[in-house]
This record gives sequence, structure tokens and C-alpha cells, in this order.
Amino acid sequence: MAHSTINQYLQQVYEAIDGRDGSFCSELLSFKHPHVANPRLQLASPEEKCQQLLEPPYDEMVAAHLRCTYAVSNHDFVEAYKAFQSHKEENWALPVMFAVTLDLRIFANNAEQQLQKKGKGQPAEMLEKAAEQLMSCFRVCASDNRAGVEDSKKWGMMFLSNQLFKIYFKINKLHLCKPLIRAIDSSNLKNDFSPAQKVTYRYYTGRKAMFDSDFKPAEEFLSYAFHHCHRSSQRNKRMILIYLLPVKMLLGHMPTHQLLRKYDLMQFADVTKGVSEGNLLLLNEALNKHETFFIRCGIFLILEKLKIITYRNLFKKVYLLLRTHQLPLASFLVSLQMMQLQDVDLDEVQCILANLIYMGHIKGYISQQHQKLVVSKQNPFPALSSVS
Amino acid sequence: MSRRRAPRRISLSQRRDAPAGGEWRQRTEEQRRGKAEVREVEEEEERQEHHGKESVPRGTCQTMCPTRELQDRQLQNCLHRFELLAGTERDRRPRGDPLRAVKEYSRPAAGKDSTNSSDLRPAAVLLKTVCYLIDKVAASPHLRPWTEVYNFVFDRLRGVKQDMIIQRTSGLNCVAILERTVRFLIYASYRLCGEPLRLYDPRINDTHLQENLSWLLDCYATGTEPHPNQEEFQALGLLYNLGSARAAQHIMELPERLRCSPAITLALSINRAFHEQNPVRVLRLARRLNFMQSCALHRHLVSCRRDLLLIYSHGFSSRNCRFPLDRLAQLLFLDASLTTRLCQAHGVEVNRDSQLIFSKAAFTEPEQLHCKLYHNIVAEKQRDLSVGDIIHGCT
Repeated sequence: MAHSTINQYLQQVYEAIDGRDGSFCSELLSFKHPHVANPRLQLASPEEKCQQLLEPPYDEMVAAHLRCTYAVSNHDFVEAYKAFQSHKEENWALPVMFAVTLDLRIFANNAEQQLQKKGKGQPAEMLEKAAEQLMSCFRVCASDNRAGVEDSKKWGMMFLSNQLFKIYFKINKLHLCKPLIRAIDSSNLKNDFSPAQKVTYRYYTGRKAMFDSDFKPAEEFLSYAFHHCHRSSQRNKRMILIYLLPVKMLLGHMPTHQLLRKYDLMQFADVTKGVSEGNLLLLNEALNKHETFFIRCGIFLILEKLKIITYRNLFKKVYLLLRTHQLPLASFLVSLQMMQLQDVDLDEVQCILANLIYMGHIKGYISQQHQKLVVSKQNPFPALSSVS
Repeated sequence: MSRRRAPRRISLSQRRDAPAGGEWRQRTEEQRRGKAEVREVEEEEERQEHHGKESVPRGTCQTMCPTRELQDRQLQNCLHRFELLAGTERDRRPRGDPLRAVKEYSRPAAGKDSTNSSDLRPAAVLLKTVCYLIDKVAASPHLRPWTEVYNFVFDRLRGVKQDMIIQRTSGLNCVAILERTVRFLIYASYRLCGEPLRLYDPRINDTHLQENLSWLLDCYATGTEPHPNQEEFQALGLLYNLGSARAAQHIMELPERLRCSPAITLALSINRAFHEQNPVRVLRLARRLNFMQSCALHRHLVSCRRDLLLIYSHGFSSRNCRFPLDRLAQLLFLDASLTTRLCQAHGVEVNRDSQLIFSKAAFTEPEQLHCKLYHNIVAEKQRDLSVGDIIHGCT
């Protein structure tokens, strides 16, 4: 493969197309295949040759692919990306489309980085264009009503969605995920896609749910992804866990040290400790210390929501200490001041308590006249997992 | 169709920046049909490419309104009353004043050529136009009512933006123009709050504000020059979009030195208090905002106060509840009578001794809330700032 001439290569492509051999054809058009290193195929203008041997639209597709190998060999990812844009709709060869769209996204990424280094172009321009291309492929797949289930292009939907999710998350335009999710959820094939695709799909829909503060579905989706992710993919499991952990913590389930150590996520250790002990000081310190990591993963803001849980845990300690059902508000104020919280006064204490009552974390009411929190004699601090 | 032509056709359409969807498909079809016109156009474009000709239009119009448009609108009697030559207002056909006429926004349409250089204003002229619109129209003490002033300035700013888009303007002039546009729209969102829908639509204002803000933030991200006002606008963006995870994430990804600036730190702490569902803290921190920042936060005031009443309705809900009205008034930053009114609108009972009786069952969403009644917290910050100062950013 690495030494064939252009004619031999084109002959192989022709045979693959003629024989409707999707997987072999996809290899011939994928950048993961060794043929791309063959200098005889790296041509700047292969159009004429391709036209001689292949029918449209394959002639243009292959020509673009070969121009791309030429550009990549010269490290010009921007050109490579442009060459790639011309491949789009494929009518029967889904594996070909998968290979091509995957490479498209990767090239768009590389082109972005190159442009950024040079300081040119609008941010996210390349990736947005790639997304537009992928979206048109998706539409073709989703609207395929003609073929029977086995031949349907609908099988391409999840793969393409996953590619699009990756782009949308990168350019921070999550609202664009919604139509894709809707299309797949309403499809009758939704449970029959490959396990790998489903895991990826659930990973992204879980992250989207997190972003929308729908924590119950987020936990469901991310747990699915974590449990069905292949045991050997440590890296992927770790990535899923980064998002699953905050959601679980918000629902009151703290991870064990063992788990954190196993997946090299010790950044969460002090966060977990702070939250479960009601130690706001430790939580704030942990958030500051690993700020960069949390921001890069996009979970910093969600971890801040853990403060509400932390207040609840702290105040529960106050209740347990004082052993009475009529708790002076001043005692809560003292507990907050011990956590070195600046400029908190009784008004804010009342607000924090009122909010915990509103959310169902505390059963009781505040008496303004007596400046006390009066809690229920039965289970005044319901378990976190039982509070929605 | 000779064999020699065909390869050139493929490379041409593929080498150019692939246009979105429809255009590309159309061209391929035309190629297959072998239309002669397509070939001609492509040859012409190829010739232009070979000459290295830039296809970005460059404006040459040195006046706020292109002469041709002024004459046309004068003939058709389509000049705005703010554009008329003094003394001719009551004529059958009033005359336009070239020192007051400003190019309108016109919707792009098929067949309309918007790239004629003499109709486009270069960046320096655009900035002068914007300054005129602010100083002589928006800030004018004579032109009334302000809803009409707003509509005029809104439209003409849109025209400025259009010229910028066509000429792909970037750099310091672009930033200066966008900054003023954003400030104008933020100020308007406060000033025209409560006006009837036919005179002012907050949703349209919001759409344009977000577009301009988004472009401005992109300019900050791509340019290499320092932007002295960046801190101000990043903070304004976060305040205006309080509660938006996307906006907050954007701020978190800014370089640390910028994130630690006072304006952004304050905006972040307000955002944090909002996420922790602590409206008392939100309103308290909001006191530290300056006038423009308060205008940006303004549209969240209603929901903030509503949240407070809702949370307190649950937290203090008991048969013997007695919460002093004055205390609540302080928390809401309203006077006693307005607080009473707000409570009643939310179903919170006020008894004869000015005590509130919170009850979670009684809380209701108000039907129609007139924000304007309650936004003194913003109004009092304006003090003796002139409209011109506010929009140019000399606060």
C-alpha cells in the first residue's frame, strides 16, 4: 500500500466502490491508513487522473482526499481542511462517511490551532464550518425513510451526533445539541447502536444535562456511560468520572478515596472532604487550589453549587451539637464565621436557612420574633439522596 | 465540453472556501449540466484570483449619509425629522441636512448591490457617525420623546454595523464603535423599561445587544492590541447574562490577570451569590455596581426580588409568623410603600401593624409586574451623569 502507484491506488478504490465494499473503501479514504504516507499519492492536482478512472462524485472525493494528503505532508492543515470540506454526502458507504467525518473534525481542530498561533481568523471559525458540514450529513441520514432497517442511513445518526457534540462542546455552543438529541431520542433505533457509540452518546448527553442543571438525568446518563465503558479504557472512564463525581456529590453520594486514587482524581479529595464535613473553608481552599483543572474541565461552576450542600452539612452539625429543636440563629452565624466567611450577617444567615428550607434540605421554619430556627422533631435534615 | 476544461472546474470550486450547503449544491448541478454562464463566471473569478485582487469592499463615503441616498430619500419624502434642514420642516418636501442625515439600515436583498464603495463609510467616518448619534441625538436635551430618539439611533447604529460587516472592519475603530453601541443598548434597556411594546420591544433590544456584545468579545479575543475597556465589558456581559452557564464559563476561561480585575471580581461574586440562591447577597452586592453595571443587571431585579419573597415564604412559613415590613424593605432596597405593593403582588399578606405573614401556600406569581416602579436602585446611581458620558464611558 505504501508503495503503490497512483493508478494502482485508484484501481483499488474503483474496485471497492464497484463491489460496495464500505469498510475497505473507508480505509482507502481514511487518514489512519498507511497509504497516506505514500509520496506518490500526495499530489497537489490529482483531478485529471481521478476523473479518468472514477465516476462522480467519487472522482471529486478521491481527488480532494489526495490533495489533502499532499497538504498534510506539508503540514498545511488549513488547506487540508478545505480539501476535506468537499466530501460530504455519501449515499451507501457509512463507514466511508465515518472515516471522512472523523478526519474532518480532527483537521478542523488542527487548522484552528494553526490559525490561532498565527493570530488570524475568527475563533472557532474552522470548527463551525466543520459542524455545518457534519450537520448536513446528519440531515441526510436522519431523513432516510426509503431503505429498510438494515440498509438505512439512520445508522449513521449516532456517530455523527457524537462528532457534532465534540465540536459544540469545544466551541461552547451547547444549545445546538438539542435538535440532535431530539432526533435520536425519537428514533426507534436508539437502543441498537453499537455499545461504543452509546457510551459516547451518553457521556455527552450527561454533560449537557449537567450544564442544564438536570442532575437526575445527568447522573443516569453518566452512570450508564461509566458502567458500560470498556474496562481497558482507563482514560475514557476517568473522563466520564470527572463529570459523574460532581453530579453524584450534589445528590449526596461522596466518592471513596480508593476510587479517586484508582483514577488519579485526587483533586476531588479535599472537595469531597469539605462538602461531607460541612467545612466551607476546606471546600473553598480546595476549589482555589485546583481552580485551573476544574475550569478547564468546565465543572468549576457546578462544584460551586456544592456550597449549598455544604451549608446543609454544617448546619446539621450545629443541630447535632446543640441537641435542641429550637436553634438560635446566632449559632449558625458563629459557625459561618468560624469558616472565615467574610461579611456574613444575620440577614444572610436567614436567607441561607430559608433557601435550605425551600429546597427541602431542612424541615422547619424560622421564627423572626424569637430569632430561632425551629426544626421538625422528626428527621429535620432528610437524607440528601431523598431530596430531589 | 472539452476534456481540458473539466479538471479546472473541479479544482476551482473545491479550492475556494466551501460555501454553506445550498450554494455548493447548486454549483455542482450547474456544472453537471455544463452551463456556459457558470464557466464564464468561473473564468472571470479565476482571473481575479490570479491578479490577487482583494474582494473585500472598501468604503469611500466621507459623510454620515451617502449623497445618493440623501437625494433619494429627500425626493421620496422619506427623511426622518431628526435629519431635516432647520426651517424646512413644514415644507411640502422638506430638505435634508447633510450634517444631520445618517445612512439608514437596509435589509440585504437579492439583486441589491450593497458593496458600492461610494455608499460605504470607512471606519473613521463610522466612528464619527456614532459619536454624532450619541452626542447630538441620544444625549440631546431637545429631541423628544426618547422612544423616538432610541428608534432612530438604533436603526442608524444598525446601518453602521452593516457597513462594518460588509467591509470586514476590525481593530480599534471597530472596538470603539461596538463598545458605544453596547453601552447605548444597555442604557436603553433600563431607560425604556415599561414603555409600551409598540414603541420599544425589549426582546429586539436584547437580540441586538447580544449580537454586538458577542462580536465585541470576539474582537477582544482575536486582537493583539491592548483593550483598556475590556474589563468593563466582560463584566457587563456577565451581569447582563446573569445565571447563564455559558457566560460564566467564558469568564472563567479568561486569563487570570483579567479575571482578577475589580469589575469582573464583583460581577463573578454576584453571579456566585445568584447560583447559591442567595438573593439577599445578590441585592447587597449590587449596591456596589456603578450606573452602567446596574443597567446591565437591571432586568434580573424582578426575578431576584421574586426569588427572595418565594424563599422567605417557605422559610418563614408558620402560623405565628410576624416579619417586620421595614426589615424586608431594607433587604429589597425599596421604601415601605413599594415593599407593601410588591408583597401584595406576590400574595404575601401585610397586616395592620406593618408585619408580614409569610406562608408558602399563599405565595403567587404576580400577573403583571411593573419593573419601572421598583427600579429606583438603578435610577439613584445615575446622579448627575449625562447620557453622553454614560454611553461614551466616562463614568
